Amino acid sequence: MNDLAIHTQGLAKFFGKTRAVDGLDLNVPRGSVYGFLGRNGAGKTTTVKTLLGLLRPTAGSAQVLGYDIRRHLLAILERTGFVPENKTLFGSLTPAQLVRFNQGYFPKWSGELVGRYAELFEIPMHVPFAKLSLGNKTKVCHLLALCQGADLLILDEPSIGLDPVITDLLLRVLVEDQVSEGRTVFLSSHQLAEVERIADWVGIIEKGKIVLETRLEDIRQNYRLIRAAAQTAPAVSSPHLVAAQSSGNFWSYLVARDAEDFAAMLRAKGMTILEILPVSLGEVFLGLTRKEMPCISGKPGTIPAPA
Amino acid sequence: MYLWKAWHDSRTRVVLYILAALSVGVLFGLDLVSWANWHAYLMTHRRLSPRYNYNFYIDVTFSTLDWLVLDYGQMAVLLAGLSLGAASTGREYGAGTMDFVLTRPGPRRNFVLTDWTVGLTTMVIMVSGLAFGALPFLCLIHAKGPGNVLAGLPGLWVLGAAIYGLSHFTTLVAGSAPKGLILSMATVLTYFFLPTALREWWHADALLRATQWTLRIFDHGSWPLSPFDWSVFAFWLATAAGFLGASVAWIRFREV
Repeated sequence: MNDLAIHTQGLAKFFGKTRAVDGLDLNVPRGSVYGFLGRNGAGKTTTVKTLLGLLRPTAGSAQVLGYDIRRHLLAILERTGFVPENKTLFGSLTPAQLVRFNQGYFPKWSGELVGRYAELFEIPMHVPFAKLSLGNKTKVCHLLALCQGADLLILDEPSIGLDPVITDLLLRVLVEDQVSEGRTVFLSSHQLAEVERIADWVGIIEKGKIVLETRLEDIRQNYRLIRAAAQTAPAVSSPHLVAAQSSGNFWSYLVARDAEDFAAMLRAKGMTILEILPVSLGEVFLGLTRKEMPCISGKPGTIPAPA
Repeated sequence: MYLWKAWHDSRTRVVLYILAALSVGVLFGLDLVSWANWHAYLMTHRRLSPRYNYNFYIDVTFSTLDWLVLDYGQMAVLLAGLSLGAASTGREYGAGTMDFVLTRPGPRRNFVLTDWTVGLTTMVIMVSGLAFGALPFLCLIHAKGPGNVLAGLPGLWVLGAAIYGLSHFTTLVAGSAPKGLILSMATVLTYFFLPTALREWWHADALLRATQWTLRIFDHGSWPLSPFDWSVFAFWLATAAGFLGASVAWIRFREV
């Protein structure tokens, strides 16, 4: 058993000429909460669907819980709880009936957890799913995934429709009940604040490629934003440079580590360093994915001199 | 589990189909009784010969088979097969639940096999209900019992299986019940009308002869004097099996 819950190498999924996932290298450690972030259309849901066998990869390889997705899909599905992006289940069944339907597929199903989470999330168990609000539909999807005794939870946009109280409860349940039991949580989301709150690891996907994969703690401790001023910015190069942005004579550099060394280099090239700031996950995400001068090569490090 | 869900979704429809089939059978039986009474009136008041009496019973038996099997039965099988097939797993695509269904840990073919189990059971019960609804009336008017009316049922069952298979497959391919239904109806209409059109327009009647052969199993005008046509029965059975295989292959490779 390897120590990665999800491992992909060069995973690709093309739809005609559209490269939805384009050489994805993903390493999700077991027992972690992994935030899988990306803009709309970046390839998050395609990646999730490919990992669960709903889409066939065009190229590359992927293992989930050590099982190859092409050869051992059933073993993966038995051990993986999945909350789909669309939060649509059988409309004619009530949550209680959906529990009955679902439990037969999973030997480790916990009826005790059903009662506990149904009460905690205030789920109306005897109303047909089609008549539930979006928030309650989302809760039912979580209920089914959480109670199946999965080793891995793949949650695609997990907090859609949830109010702040239930979102808070859900995040606590994920950390206190699931991760504490050694399970892995893979959160595919736009909600940076939620990911920042509970994730150990983050992966940022842009145009089908991973542009950043790191520990969240690493971002907190080592990532820095350097603001500098200069009449003309010099060409700079560093393996730790993640992104750069200009606004008039002011420049912002996002560096992954050794911010002081990088600032010294800028000073040596004639720039005035205004400040060096710690950064949030949101700033890193924007630095990597915003349209203005993005660094999307997958090999951050070089920013050309402005024209 | 999926069997339970399929039954849960279709139980109301199944009960309605069975009631409808029994009702149609009863109406047919009542119709037959009034027809028989008319003939009895003719015999009594016009003093018809015993030979006419004998021919009358023969006529009743054959006409019963013709009406029940050809008219009522085929239409019922056609409608039930198309609608039951469209209410199968394929509609989960349109409903947005296919990714939930296909991430349940079970072989994908089981979803198709479950559909077929529920769909064909419904079909068999419904078609049989049609015959059994009329049965008491046949016994009433026929001194020697209902004849071999039940022997016409296997042909209907196997035709129903083929139509169900067609509708199931097209729904799976189209990813929606309405589209699947339209596709399967178009296929059925093409099957029946294209050969005739070819003969009328281009005087090519080979296809027409072939389709007429496939419907020979329901040609009970001279039956039971003619033997049951096992080759045509096998043709429809093979067609049904072909659609089943196609559905299994399709769901195995279909992406969501």
